[in-house]
Amino acid sequence: MRTKVTPLFPETALERILEALERELVAATDEEILEAAHDLGMKPEMQGSAAFLGLRYPGVPRREEFFDPQWIARVLNDPRRIWLASRSLPPGPEAPRAPAAHRSRARPAGRRPRPPKEPRGS
Amino acid sequence: MQPLVDARVLRPTQMALALELVTEMDLLRLKTIARLHARGLPPDTGWEDLLQEALTRVLTGARRIPERIAPVAFIAGIMRSLRSEHWRRAGGARARHAASDHRVYRTRELALRDTAPDPERSLIATEELEAIERLFADDSIALRIIDALGEGLSAEQIRTTLGLSKTDYDSARKRMRRCLLREGLTCGPK
Repeated sequence: MRTKVTPLFPETALERILEALERELVAATDEEILEAAHDLGMKPEMQGSAAFLGLRYPGVPRREEFFDPQWIARVLNDPRRIWLASRSLPPGPEAPRAPAAHRSRARPAGRRPRPPKEPRGS
Repeated sequence: MQPLVDARVLRPTQMALALELVTEMDLLRLKTIARLHARGLPPDTGWEDLLQEALTRVLTGARRIPERIAPVAFIAGIMRSLRSEHWRRAGGARARHAASDHRVYRTRELALRDTAPDPERSLIATEELEAIERLFADDSIALRIIDALGEGLSAEQIRTTLGLSKTDYDSARKRMRRCLLREGLTCGPK
């Protein structure tokens, strides 16, 4: 009889792992939390600790709080806007030109050392 | 300029603290759990949104805490269900979008029968699994435990499969907890 093989989808594995890790964090003791915070240089026992950012105090604002992510993606990927933005750039110092790859080097005509003339009438 | 968040009004986390629903240490514990569950969610849904929404549901009475369950465990469960809710809604929206794109008439029964994994969700899940593995990259036992957890093994089965004593297993769990707490207490995005 053939064994029934159940495929393991990554999302299923992730959900299981997150649930197990959640249980671990729920079971974490206060001492473990304080130790981890001290490892990061935080002092949760003090007033205004960075550990409480987003909990007791407003957290660091995110770009998505101000702009719609789809709008941001549309604006950034719009070729017309990229062209306009590049046109409006102030003129900067010109970069030194790279030498042409296939141009042959100019021969220094007339600079080739000629052999000394032999003295006449000798 | 008007601030986006009204600082004169208590946030759900502050309210839960004022009502002694949770302690300060519980809030830190919940922060690490919220950061864990915010993994793979779109950038406009952060850990703060998950936690504040979960606490709002408790404070408004939309979700009632059973007597025998610790508030932290219950709130963590709400955050987990909020995460699942997000994926359910995202999957439904994507299926409707695909159906309208291909101009195919899909009945409700057909939509329910479609159990194929969503490729976008699979990709995000794979990336998050890799991120979790990177978190425990220095700890080979923790990595093997993570793999076993992904396969749905229980603690006893993991110990038997990996040949770990109870002490080894518990110390590995402690190392994993510390790593997760450190990662969860940082002030970075998500």
